[in-house]
Amino acid sequence: MKKFLLLLLVLSVGFQGALMAQTRTVTGKVTGADDGIGIPRANITVKGTTRGVPSDLDGNFTIEVAANETLVFSFVGYISKEVLVGNQTTINVALEPDYAELEEVVVVGYGSQEKKEITSSVVALDAKEFNKGNVNDPAQLLQGKVPGLSIYNKGSDPNSGATIRLRGISTVGANVQPLVVIDGVIGASLDNVDPNDIESVNVLKDGSAAAIYGSRGSAGVILVTTKSGERGGKGLSASYNGYAAVDDVFRFQSVMTPDEYIAAGGNDLGSRTIWQEEVTRTAVSHVHNIAISGGSENTTFRLSTNFRNIQGVLKKSGFDQINARANVDHYALNDKLNIKFNLSMTNREQDFSFNEALRYAALFNPTAPIYTDASQSEFFQAILFDNFNPVAIIEQNTNIGQRKNLNFNTQVSYDLTDNLTWSANYAQQYSTSTNGAFYPSNSLFRGFNRIGLANRRTDESKFTLFETYGTFVKDFDNSSLTVSAGYSFQEEQFTGFGLEAGNFPSDDIGFNIISASGNIVGDLANASIFSYESPENRILAFFGRVNFNLNNGIFFNASVRREGSTKLGADNQWGTFPAVGVGADLLQYVDLAAFSQLKIRAGYGVTGSLPGPSGLAQDLYSYATTGGGTVSFVRAGNPDLKWEEKAEINLGLDFGLLGGKLNGSLDVYTRDINDFILERTVDPAVYGTNLRYENAGKLNTKGIELALNHTGFGSGGFNWSPGIVLSSYKTTLEEFVIDENMIANLGAPGQNETNLVRIAVGEQIGQIWGPVFSGNVDAEGRPIMVDLNDDGQLLTEQGSALAADGDFQEIGNGIPDVELGWTNQLTYGNWDMNLFFRAAFGHSLVNTFRAFYEPIDPGAINSYNRTKTDLQIEDLTVAQFSSLYVEKADFFRLDNATVGYNFDMANNDMFSNLRLYLSVQNAFVITNYTGVDPDPVLQDRGAVDNGGAPGNPNVLAPGIDRRYNYFTSRTFTFGLNIGF
Amino acid sequence: MKYTIRILALALTLFTVGSCTDLEEEIKDGFTEDFDPNNPGVGQSGSGSSDGLNAAFSRLLNGSAAHNSYFSIQEVSTDEAVITQKGGDWFDGGIWLNMHRHEWGSTHPALNNFWNDAYGGINECNRLLDAGGLSNDKIAQLRVVRAYFYWRLMDSFGRVKIVTQPGQDAPQSSRIEVFNFIESELLAAIPDLPTGKQAYARISNLGAHAFLSRLYLNSEVYTGIPRYAEAIASADVVINSGIYSLTDNYADVFSPDNEDDPEHIWILPFDEVTAGGMNFAQMTLHYPSQLTYRLAEQPWNGYSTLEEFYNSYDNADERKANNFVVGPQFDVNGQPILDLAFDPADQDGAPVNYTPEINQLAPSGSRQAGARMSKFSFKQKQRSNMDNDYILFRYGEVLMNKAEATARLTGNWNNPTTLLLMNQIRERAGVAPYDGTNMLDDSEFLAERGREMFQESLRRVDLIRFDRWGDAWWEKSQHNDDYRKLFPIPNTQILSAEGTLTQNPGYN
Repeated sequence: MKKFLLLLLVLSVGFQGALMAQTRTVTGKVTGADDGIGIPRANITVKGTTRGVPSDLDGNFTIEVAANETLVFSFVGYISKEVLVGNQTTINVALEPDYAELEEVVVVGYGSQEKKEITSSVVALDAKEFNKGNVNDPAQLLQGKVPGLSIYNKGSDPNSGATIRLRGISTVGANVQPLVVIDGVIGASLDNVDPNDIESVNVLKDGSAAAIYGSRGSAGVILVTTKSGERGGKGLSASYNGYAAVDDVFRFQSVMTPDEYIAAGGNDLGSRTIWQEEVTRTAVSHVHNIAISGGSENTTFRLSTNFRNIQGVLKKSGFDQINARANVDHYALNDKLNIKFNLSMTNREQDFSFNEALRYAALFNPTAPIYTDASQSEFFQAILFDNFNPVAIIEQNTNIGQRKNLNFNTQVSYDLTDNLTWSANYAQQYSTSTNGAFYPSNSLFRGFNRIGLANRRTDESKFTLFETYGTFVKDFDNSSLTVSAGYSFQEEQFTGFGLEAGNFPSDDIGFNIISASGNIVGDLANASIFSYESPENRILAFFGRVNFNLNNGIFFNASVRREGSTKLGADNQWGTFPAVGVGADLLQYVDLAAFSQLKIRAGYGVTGSLPGPSGLAQDLYSYATTGGGTVSFVRAGNPDLKWEEKAEINLGLDFGLLGGKLNGSLDVYTRDINDFILERTVDPAVYGTNLRYENAGKLNTKGIELALNHTGFGSGGFNWSPGIVLSSYKTTLEEFVIDENMIANLGAPGQNETNLVRIAVGEQIGQIWGPVFSGNVDAEGRPIMVDLNDDGQLLTEQGSALAADGDFQEIGNGIPDVELGWTNQLTYGNWDMNLFFRAAFGHSLVNTFRAFYEPIDPGAINSYNRTKTDLQIEDLTVAQFSSLYVEKADFFRLDNATVGYNFDMANNDMFSNLRLYLSVQNAFVITNYTGVDPDPVLQDRGAVDNGGAPGNPNVLAPGIDRRYNYFTSRTFTFGLNIGF
Repeated sequence: MKYTIRILALALTLFTVGSCTDLEEEIKDGFTEDFDPNNPGVGQSGSGSSDGLNAAFSRLLNGSAAHNSYFSIQEVSTDEAVITQKGGDWFDGGIWLNMHRHEWGSTHPALNNFWNDAYGGINECNRLLDAGGLSNDKIAQLRVVRAYFYWRLMDSFGRVKIVTQPGQDAPQSSRIEVFNFIESELLAAIPDLPTGKQAYARISNLGAHAFLSRLYLNSEVYTGIPRYAEAIASADVVINSGIYSLTDNYADVFSPDNEDDPEHIWILPFDEVTAGGMNFAQMTLHYPSQLTYRLAEQPWNGYSTLEEFYNSYDNADERKANNFVVGPQFDVNGQPILDLAFDPADQDGAPVNYTPEINQLAPSGSRQAGARMSKFSFKQKQRSNMDNDYILFRYGEVLMNKAEATARLTGNWNNPTTLLLMNQIRERAGVAPYDGTNMLDDSEFLAERGREMFQESLRRVDLIRFDRWGDAWWEKSQHNDDYRKLFPIPNTQILSAEGTLTQNPGYN
């Protein structure tokens, strides 16, 4: 009782003391100096006391305070500010962002690091910085935003993924796409994450950062973190994000009009058809994302559902997709134990339509009718080589598929002591796709003479990951030491089967009743069946890493991964991938007033890469039913096959100028890809067959990358914040088993055995190689080439491409010299605007449409309509590849322009935020390229004619704009974001 | 701390005991070692003989009747076949125009494809021979198959490696060494070969003798030493066996159902489903001919016959009607088939009409020009792979081998033996025999042999033997480049052999 009285006394004295000072109510708003937007839940405290209030969702606050007191405004990521109250009753504070971002934590492999401690080239992007608009492929979020990361999706095919390259070619054989890690699951597929659910993306660019991922890190690593709930009593929140988008063809292939075609000698079949318009449409797509998230003190969750109904500009092409994701996170045992569950599933139903229709639409006789009769029941169809009524292709035939992805992973971590944490992660990922096509008996394209033709195939993949590691952290005065070590097990397996059969009793029966095929009943030989099953491809690894921070000024990293793979020879299965890095915060040691940040970094790391196929070390025989059943030796095993390794040195400089307003990073690197693995032709006399996988050569890439960001210019509520990323690289073939070679066939019609790209030891890759057109044409309409070696004779046929007396030279390079991304963030009051420009310079493209179809050959004018560009040579009638068809494809593009408005929801009980925006993608392109899209083509999938399918990508043959590329579209998107 | 180490150790152990350290790769949908698919107990999934020799014999099919390998270089380099450039079509980097003009280079892809096909076959023979367990007659057959691949290589490239063991490299041999190897292999095999009529798609000793008669007939070309008497002796073994005869109807020898024709000595058993690789319909017919034969796939409009060669046949010659498709073309309902992309210069317009005359080699060869090659005739609803058996050796050739060897040995093209043999050929074709008014000479012999053996990949061999390889024909000019009697060793092979193969003289 005594104690109670005493306590009461103390309290009343304190209370009286407070009352004695003259207090008043002060109101105001806390905003960010960078964007002028209110900061919710900023801390406003009275200096020297425990009194304080948080700001509301719009940054507004009210506090009782005395005139002689000082208010401290603080918020994570901003520099705290102190204001003496004096006689003010309204105090508005703009907090400067803390650009040094010293406390920012960046996710790296198997853990996270404070950004200041990072010694390698890592770029972190959060959702605010992602590309806007109708984005269906997560990779598109990053296009142009990360220096050195090239993302190109030629055309706007909703069913095709982008080609992603980090710092150029990292390997010749396989794994040319960067490794994707989603929420700690390595090797995860971007197919199963919706762009709406992504919180942030980190890109590990250089070898020293990626080496902890060993064999899968050569092409760089993209770490994706999905959104999750927040701990601590904020309750439930819900959000809806949705948009509708309208796509139109941005640029058609430039071809002759019907009148031009007739004037050029084409047969007038009586109609006037603009085929490219007939096969395309204004595509309307809509996307909806609903998410709820929340968290108690110990448990957080986020559930989201994404629905996408996407149309492509090619008629019938598109997909319907539903994706759901659940992230749950629980803490127990006084936060020592953390358990995370992630679950996601995707079901995508696709209509691929027929990309060939776009090509034939450019080529089909523009005077041909679509239908032969008024009732539009019979398509006009004629037998021409590699040319079909494109509307008939789309309307008659079916080409659809379904893809299902399911991922789950469970991560457990436990703090064994204050310094030591143990973690384990178990994940599985499944993917199944079922595709089918049906060509009825009246389809001249396919199916004709097979009395209907149906095929169907199923492909499945399964990936299992188990990893466990421990992390030991020890802090000293200003220094700290982190040591991690662990084990990783990865296993993947592929399986599939399919069949094709024809002769159907009715065109109403498609691939869903293949059992009705006459081939299957009485003529099994005319049906085909296939199946495959891969080995269980395993990768095992042990890894360790040490990070040391010395006095917050010097940072040191070292890691090693020892890894084994089933794909290599028994004596070469294990490889070691070390890395080391060091960084120094120079401002800790020298006083440079001009800089707010100045850090230098140096890193060295070795990563590996494995080719896709299995059975490389073992002799491989296959069985065929030919001639009563034969086994044939198809590929010689190479038991000496060893790890392909990439060793990379990266030097970097991070700097802040103008009081932290201008920040930048500069990186230079050189990387050697040693012993790259390639299937190559070997002497059949030695190996018994002519194919074998070998460690075939060495590549070197040197590059430079620059990122610059300004926090904003402006006044009076207007702010303009620009950012630029620039990159450039050159790749040289340093060693190869063949000194000089020609690859990449142009193809039919008429230009088979016409190779477009030269690869030569000691020289840059990407050389487009051919004769040089003089501008003149001979009497028979042939192009006259230039006598390049001045020896008085012209050797411009393919056999002379590499001959000493041949008249060939480099006539372009497929890889850009410079790639540029330029972001502009503008805000004014509640308005925001984003302008994103993207450009690439110095690359050329082989315009294959022109190479085939531009010469007006009187003997074939009726086979094809002709392309028509300003580059056309009037009397040239013979198609022969030359510099005439290689065009500089420099471009500058307004990739995205978005205008948004944030409604003021401060007084709204129902909504926490409401935003409307309008976005246009691909607003304009400045280029001299005459094809549909000047984007670089970084790999080649070969020539395709008359119904073939593109082949495996060849990264040594960039720069060929093939005829099967989808048209690029311009997209208008109207979107809505609501928070509840 | 001890406690935590124990947990870590336990966790690691749990996951390393199981499959987690196993790095053995188990191939599931292929085989990592050889096996004989025809062993008892192994199910048969194809149709055909189950004697264990399929793997070797079926290798002969590769490139023998398809585009861009052995067949193409043996035919397009001669006066019996051409691939014209049809405007934007079939330029293909000029490689087929070069082939016609005798200006080919070592990067020609057909040379490399042929080389790989031949060594693929040789390796298969070596593999089976090395595996052991075969009866002597099978070993003998494999040695003949291998010798045949070496004959193709020796005939076309001259200097090649003689590899007789799997995975054992050999030095590059001279042409004479390869010739001697082939001869010795055949002679060694003959005593062990099956005798009498050969099994379907296999060979008997008579096949080896037919092969020897061809080898000796060309001996002078290959070695500089004429061996015509031995050519006659080998041919006589075949003729005197009484097993073979000229089929009454020339067309039957080559038709889609020509199995077991009495003239066949060694054939390639092409089948539209189980033994693909004969693509003549695709290679020669124009696109709309798909409607005439109801072809499963659109043909390519590539190969045709030179006008002069077509005209070397009498109109009465039954072989002319069989070997070529000419004139207006109709669909199965008798309606003219149309090429809506007809050439503006074409008088007939859209209806397809194959004319023997061809306006030009390049650049604007007419799409409908040229007699089409149909010796191995087409059937309705043909797939891109045809059903006809292709012929490596037949009785008709053996008769002509003896006729020619006799003429060369006697120095008299009109000796009674030669006339008797040649007139059997003439008679079957329905044309007048050679007699006092209709005399034979070397030119006429070559022409007659050409008419008979058209499309059987022997024209190049014959033109070289008759020393007419440098002659001018159509858009090919006369030349005296003897080195062009051999093809260059494919550039790709020279590169992958890493110094163990050198190029033939005359080529760089």
